[in-house]
Amino acid sequence: MNYAALVGPKIRDRRRALGMTQVRLSASLGISASYLNLIEAGRRNIGGSLLKRIADALGLAVDELDGATERRLLADLAELAAEPVLAAHGLDAGAAADLAGHHPGWARALITLHRAWLDRGRAVNALSDRLRHDPFLADAVHQLLTRVAAIKSSAEIVENVDDLSPAEQRRFAAIVGGESRRLADLAQALAAFFERSHTAVRSLTPVGEVDDFFADHAHHFPGLEEAAVTLREAAGVALEHDNIESALARYLERTDGLPPPPAAARFELACRVAELAAGGEALSVEIQRATTLTNDAARRRARRALTTYLAAAVVMPYDAFLAAARGLRFDADALARAFGVSFEQACHRLVTLRRPGAEGVPFALMRVDASGYTSRRAPLPNLALPRHGSACPLWAVYQALQSPGATVRQVAEFPGGARFLLVARVIDEPAPAFPMPRRVASLMLACDALYADQTVYGDGLNLASAAPAVPVGPNCRVCTRTGCAYRQEDPVIDA
Amino acid sequence: MTIKVLIAEDDANIVESLSFVLGRAGFEVSSALDGDEALHRLHDNRPDVMVLDLMLPKRNGFEVLKAVKADPALRSLPVMVLTAKGQPQDRRLVEQIGVEGFLTKPFSNTDVVEAVRRLAQGLTARDAAERGH
Repeated sequence: MNYAALVGPKIRDRRRALGMTQVRLSASLGISASYLNLIEAGRRNIGGSLLKRIADALGLAVDELDGATERRLLADLAELAAEPVLAAHGLDAGAAADLAGHHPGWARALITLHRAWLDRGRAVNALSDRLRHDPFLADAVHQLLTRVAAIKSSAEIVENVDDLSPAEQRRFAAIVGGESRRLADLAQALAAFFERSHTAVRSLTPVGEVDDFFADHAHHFPGLEEAAVTLREAAGVALEHDNIESALARYLERTDGLPPPPAAARFELACRVAELAAGGEALSVEIQRATTLTNDAARRRARRALTTYLAAAVVMPYDAFLAAARGLRFDADALARAFGVSFEQACHRLVTLRRPGAEGVPFALMRVDASGYTSRRAPLPNLALPRHGSACPLWAVYQALQSPGATVRQVAEFPGGARFLLVARVIDEPAPAFPMPRRVASLMLACDALYADQTVYGDGLNLASAAPAVPVGPNCRVCTRTGCAYRQEDPVIDA
Repeated sequence: MTIKVLIAEDDANIVESLSFVLGRAGFEVSSALDGDEALHRLHDNRPDVMVLDLMLPKRNGFEVLKAVKADPALRSLPVMVLTAKGQPQDRRLVEQIGVEGFLTKPFSNTDVVEAVRRLAQGLTARDAAERGH
C-alpha cells in the first residue's frame, strides 16, 4: 500500500493554501525543490524527522499529515472497491489514494454509504429469513386459518338456514362471537410482532461504531487513565498492593452501601468501582464527547467497553504496567500473573499502552470465535483488520483454532513486503451448562516485525527481512497473491 | 340406508358447525378429536366416509391417512382431507399416500357437503357393482 500517495497531496494542498511556492518551502526545509516535488507527487516515502519538519513548516501536527485515519480510510475504500457489484468500474488503489488524500470528505461519505448499504442488505436477509422460519409466524398463520374457518362455517349457518331454532341461532352466534374474539387477539399479537421486527432494524452496526470510536482514540483514553489514578487513591490501593480485592471491596462498601459478593474477582470488582463517582463521571464525559456514536445501542456498548477500559486501568495502572511489560518483554502470560488478571485482559491492556512519549510496543488485537466470526478488532494504522467477513485464512488467529492450548507464532509477510509478528492462542470460556458445546475464542496480538525483537514472542524466530516468512494477505478479496493454495475468492481489484 | 360420516377434527367449533350441516344433509355424523381416537373409531364402528384434518393431536392426520391406506380392511374407505395446511408440498404428500378429496380452510359449508355427497355416491356405485349386476 503506497502511503506516500496519501501524504503528498496533503502537503501540496496545504502549501498552496498557505500561498507558499515549492522553492520557498524546500529551501526552508533544506531539501531540493525537485525532491519536494517528488514527495508531493507521492513518489517518495518520508517519515521521522523530515515529516516533522514539513509539518512544522506548514503549521500542522504530524498526525494530520501522516494520519492514521487516512490509512483506515484507504483500507475501507479497498473493501468497498472489492464489492462484486462495482467490478465493472475498474476501481484501482491509486485513484482511491488520490480521493482519500484530496477529498477525504467524499471518501468518508462513500464509506458511510457502503456501510449503510451492507447493513440494509443484512437486515433484509435477516427479515426474510425470519418470515420464512419464525415459529411464531408459522403458528400464527395456522391459527388464523383455523379461527376464520370456524367463524365462516358458523356464520354461514346463521345467515343461510331459515328454520334455525332460537337455541340453535344463539349457539352458532355464540361460536361466531367467541371465535371473533380469539381472532382479534391473534391479530393484535401479529401486529405487535411486526412492530418489534421493524424497530429492531438499525442502519449502522453499533459494534462497528464502537470499533471506530476506539480506533479514533488510538485505544488510549487519557481522561480514563487519570480517573483510574484517582480511584486507586480513593480506594487506598498502594501501587505494589497485592490484596487489591479487599481494598476495592471496602471502597465499594463505603461508597455504594452494599457489600459485593464474596467471590468477586479483582477485575469484576474494578468494573463495579469504575462505575462509581469520579469513574462514572469520567465515563459519561467520554461518551458525551463521542460525536461518532449515533444511537443508543452504540453508546451503551461503548460505555460497557470504556468501563472495562477503566477497570483495566485501575487494576493494571499505566506506569506500573508499562514498566512490567518492558521488563517482561511483553509476555502477556507473565503480565497476567503479575497483575492477577486473565491473559485476555493483559493483552487488551497492552494495546492501550499508547500514551505519547510513554508507549509500549504498538500491538493490534483480534479475537475470533469458533465459527471464524471476528468478535473484537483493534487494528494498527498499517495492519487493517477486516470489518466484514474473515481475514486471510493463513493468519495465526485461525491456525491457533486448530491447536488449542498451543501459542502459535508467525512472521507474516504481506504482498507489499510489510512484515508482522502474529501471536495467537485459543482462550477457553466456561460453557453455560454441561451438555452445551465448548466455547472457545482465538485471541491474536500482532506487531510490526521491526518491534518483534523487543518481545518475548520474537525469541528464536528469524526476524531478518530476507528470512522466509508466511506469505499472507489482508483477505482474499483484496489480496494480489495469485496462485495461493488457500485462496477463498477471486480478487476483484488490481493493486 | 344412512351414510355414516366420521369427522376427525380437533377444533370443537368446526366439529359442531360441520356436524350440523352434514346432519341436515341427511348424514349420520360422529366425530373424533385426535388421531388415536380416529383410528379406534375406524376399527370399532367403520364409517362410510371420513373427513380428516391434518393437524390432529396425538397421531397427526398424515399418520392416520397412512394407516388407513396401509390397512386392507380400510383401504377402500373414501377420505377427504380438510386442512389449513394447504401448501403444495402438503398436497403432494397427501396425494402420494392416497386420498379421495382435498379441501382447504377456510371452507364453505356447501362445498364440504357436496364433496362428502360425491364421495358417498362413489361408494354406492361401487356397492352396486360389488353386488354383482
